[in-house]
Amino acid sequence: MPEDIKCPKCGSKTVVKAAKRGPNAGRSFHVCTRYPECKGKVAIREQSGQSPTPQTTKTEPTIDVRGISKWFGSVVAVNDVSLQVYPGITGLLGPNGAGKTTLLRMIAGLTKPSEGEVSLLGKPPHDNFRLHRRVGFMSEHEAVYGFYTGREFVKLVARLHGLTPLASAVDRAIETIGLTDVQNRPLDTYSRGMRQRMRMAATLVHDPEVLLLDEPLNGTDPRQRIEFQDLMRRLASEGRTILISSHILEEVETLAERILLMVSGKLAAAGDFHTIRVKLDERPYRVRIVVGNPRSMASALVKMDAVDSVTVDPDGALVVLSRNVYALQRSVPRLAQEQKIRLLRMEPLDESLESVFSYIVER
Amino acid sequence: MGPIFRLSLHQLAKRRRLLLILLLATLPVALAAAISAFAGEGESYKADLINNLLDAMLIAAIMPIVTIALATRAFGDELEDRTLSYLVLKPVRRSLIVLPKLLSSIVICGPLLIASGAVATLFALDGSGQAVVAVGVALFAGVVAYAAIFTWAGLISTHALSFGLIYVFLWEGVLSTFLGGVRYLSVRGYTLAILHGMDEKSFEVLGQRVIEFPAGIVGAAAVTIVFFLLTVRRLRRMDVP
Repeated sequence: MPEDIKCPKCGSKTVVKAAKRGPNAGRSFHVCTRYPECKGKVAIREQSGQSPTPQTTKTEPTIDVRGISKWFGSVVAVNDVSLQVYPGITGLLGPNGAGKTTLLRMIAGLTKPSEGEVSLLGKPPHDNFRLHRRVGFMSEHEAVYGFYTGREFVKLVARLHGLTPLASAVDRAIETIGLTDVQNRPLDTYSRGMRQRMRMAATLVHDPEVLLLDEPLNGTDPRQRIEFQDLMRRLASEGRTILISSHILEEVETLAERILLMVSGKLAAAGDFHTIRVKLDERPYRVRIVVGNPRSMASALVKMDAVDSVTVDPDGALVVLSRNVYALQRSVPRLAQEQKIRLLRMEPLDESLESVFSYIVER
Repeated sequence: MGPIFRLSLHQLAKRRRLLLILLLATLPVALAAAISAFAGEGESYKADLINNLLDAMLIAAIMPIVTIALATRAFGDELEDRTLSYLVLKPVRRSLIVLPKLLSSIVICGPLLIASGAVATLFALDGSGQAVVAVGVALFAGVVAYAAIFTWAGLISTHALSFGLIYVFLWEGVLSTFLGGVRYLSVRGYTLAILHGMDEKSFEVLGQRVIEFPAGIVGAAAVTIVFFLLTVRRLRRMDVP
């Protein structure tokens, strides 16, 4: 009977079966049958009836990064970052240019750190081709072999992983991301979102236990995002480790249990999303308000609890500092109506992600 | 290896590239046909002409240019469009990525160049079978050695095509013609040595400017192996874009 355990050699799940032939036939070992060349053995604790000890336990991080830095000439892309990632979904957040992609590429083994060590599933990932059987990486670059159909592309990846039976693995991956109808069209004819999803199918085809996804939601529409989030939750519930990078807070907010914040090549914060969110909510926002009578409006605004301070800029517009921007949004139109002041414009001044991250770093 | 080989053939066999190769491969055939048509029966200068045609045109110019055009793109296209990560992040040994890339360049340009040299020899040397075999073997050895060099070059530089052309012109063209010692470190030298060594009678004109037959064989094999290993090493150590 197949056991729901991991092969210690290739990391595949639910493919380790009791050996039927040979010296270990069904007695003290399970032998992996997922890949013809694998034959990884798992000891069976027959007397206690316990399942074999998996290689990676909950207490060991799947990804362990220790003091890594990466510089390209005089540019420091990642600066002395240490972090651990455990099974479940972890969001890697940061503005563009923060070093997220470089960090992910070092974890995947595409780039060697200039300094420090990376351990993925207990092994260094750079130049470790056997490890890639257990890892799925999706880069932010959307380039694909455009002359291949979607199915041919996923099939190529499955072949390179040495999957057998090939067709069912390809079918399952394409079905998972819901592109069965268009699988025989050349990738060149796909929309950006469809291409992203087919790349996701190729990333999932070998059923990896670790997923490293760099901006995977680029080019997807809202419905596809919801489907993607559902898929990620399902994969995480199966015990996989998923690290998703994004520069959009809201993309990761509903998905990640834990987030890592990167700013200017450094790890600015790490923890559960709630803690980070509280920090964000405490942050004062600046809102610019243009009204017909700024002085009267300023007098009325300073009396509000939601307002920390009000200044009048040289153009006559009001710049309001508030820690409760939602209350401010609701109150200002009503206040203007009560004061019979014409409200012309209301806009946030520092909504960019960079300013949000900078605030957290300063804290 | 099969999927990467098929993928590489797809990537390399672009229509414009193939047309250019075909056009270049046709030149020696056309010239040899002209020589054959205008020279009388048994004219001795026909052999001189075909010797020089094979050396100066096919081996010194067309063969390296065609191989550069293909082999530098074996990895070059994937480095440019950043699709190389699809190959290197798979449980596949680096040597089994490099080998099909190298083979795909050889499979595309090898037959065309060998056919070109063989047909030209048939025309000019009045159907000498031994000469045709010698040309085929020598050109094959040359194509394989050049493909190994330029596959490596395509992986280490985005300007491999320009550097390759300069190298071919200066080292293989000018220096190996005038400096005897350079022929021991030149793919052109190895190719000519194999050609002459396999049929000394038909290619006796080349006798004064070729290195020893065994040196040619060892040199071509050594270049191929060394540059294949350098490419594997580079792929293992590089930061993949």
